[in-house]
Amino acid sequence: MPKFARHAQELWSDGREESKEGEMVAGVGRVVCAGFLLVLSGFLAPSPAQQSAAPTKVIQIMGLTGVKNKTKGSLAVEGGNLRFAHGQAKVDLAATSVQDVVTGNDSERLIHGTLGTLTMFAPYESGRFLSLFRTKLDTLTIQYRDADGGLHGAVFTMPLGQAEVIKKKLIAQGAHTSAPTPEGADNASPRASNAKEQKP
Amino acid sequence: MKRISERGSACALLGVMLLAGPVLQAQEKQPAKIKATSIKVAMIESDEIKLPAEFQVSLYEDLIEQLHKKGGFQHVYRDGDRHAADAADLVILNSTVRGFKEGSERVRQVTTVAGATSISVHCAFTNKDGKLLLERDIKGNVRFFGGNLRATYDFAKKTAQVARESLSPSAGT
Repeated sequence: MPKFARHAQELWSDGREESKEGEMVAGVGRVVCAGFLLVLSGFLAPSPAQQSAAPTKVIQIMGLTGVKNKTKGSLAVEGGNLRFAHGQAKVDLAATSVQDVVTGNDSERLIHGTLGTLTMFAPYESGRFLSLFRTKLDTLTIQYRDADGGLHGAVFTMPLGQAEVIKKKLIAQGAHTSAPTPEGADNASPRASNAKEQKP
Repeated sequence: MKRISERGSACALLGVMLLAGPVLQAQEKQPAKIKATSIKVAMIESDEIKLPAEFQVSLYEDLIEQLHKKGGFQHVYRDGDRHAADAADLVILNSTVRGFKEGSERVRQVTTVAGATSISVHCAFTNKDGKLLLERDIKGNVRFFGGNLRATYDFAKKTAQVARESLSPSAGT
């Protein structure tokens, strides 16, 4: 083998060993970095945009155009819209068209629906006894205007504690309320002074 | 034989007169209907009474639905609808809550006799110029079955019936 070829081979093998070591160091560095970020992620609060990911399961009691009364579905605030989805159908309302959003509270029988009705005919008045057991619910009432300026109202019920979250998101996206929370007082409509919110 | 048939026809005539009398009287007593082809429903007011928002919205939505179904109007406009300005023979319905007692569905289901929810609403039908055409106090109740919001449905049904009896698209003002 010529001298210059042997020299070149030695240089190439040295380079390979050095690059292997470098790759190993870089790999360890990546692992340490990832671990560090993982530890830090626990202290990082998600932004409001990230919070709006999961929709809330609700019952639309009345008022949404094109949706039957007492329809089950999910409610989410995304992209400046209040979106009610049931099955394949979706109804979007611009948050800016919402003139008033108010939360309240309600309750329903623990055993409701058809089974709940059937328990009313249970022997020894046990249906009445079962009526004593109820679950608390949140209500969300909104008033909004359509394209012609017509005023609509819609009422939703949802699990306890969810209505206030949706209300805050709606206000953040441009909706108004007559019963402002302390943080959202600047978004209040002129009727705020004589309106009081229903609290559990 | 002839006498019997005469008596029979006299009895029949008397019977017809007795039966027809109240019907004719009732027809005479019926007030003239007010001409109205369309109605605009204003948002429910509750300045004096503290009414939960869901009841206010439920009263308004049920009223619109029942007027659509049973009111006999060609158009039912919502509060603020721009098309209402061009409507002929428009009547505006202003409703003010005068009384509200929120009952309890639990108490109704347990006791059957207690826990009723009732709403009393003053309804004023005016024309476009604000002239009062008709006013009534209408109550909505839920006594036995259903949630509290069912009282608003009861009120809406009664209001639609009042509107149907007093207002008509074919009446001669």
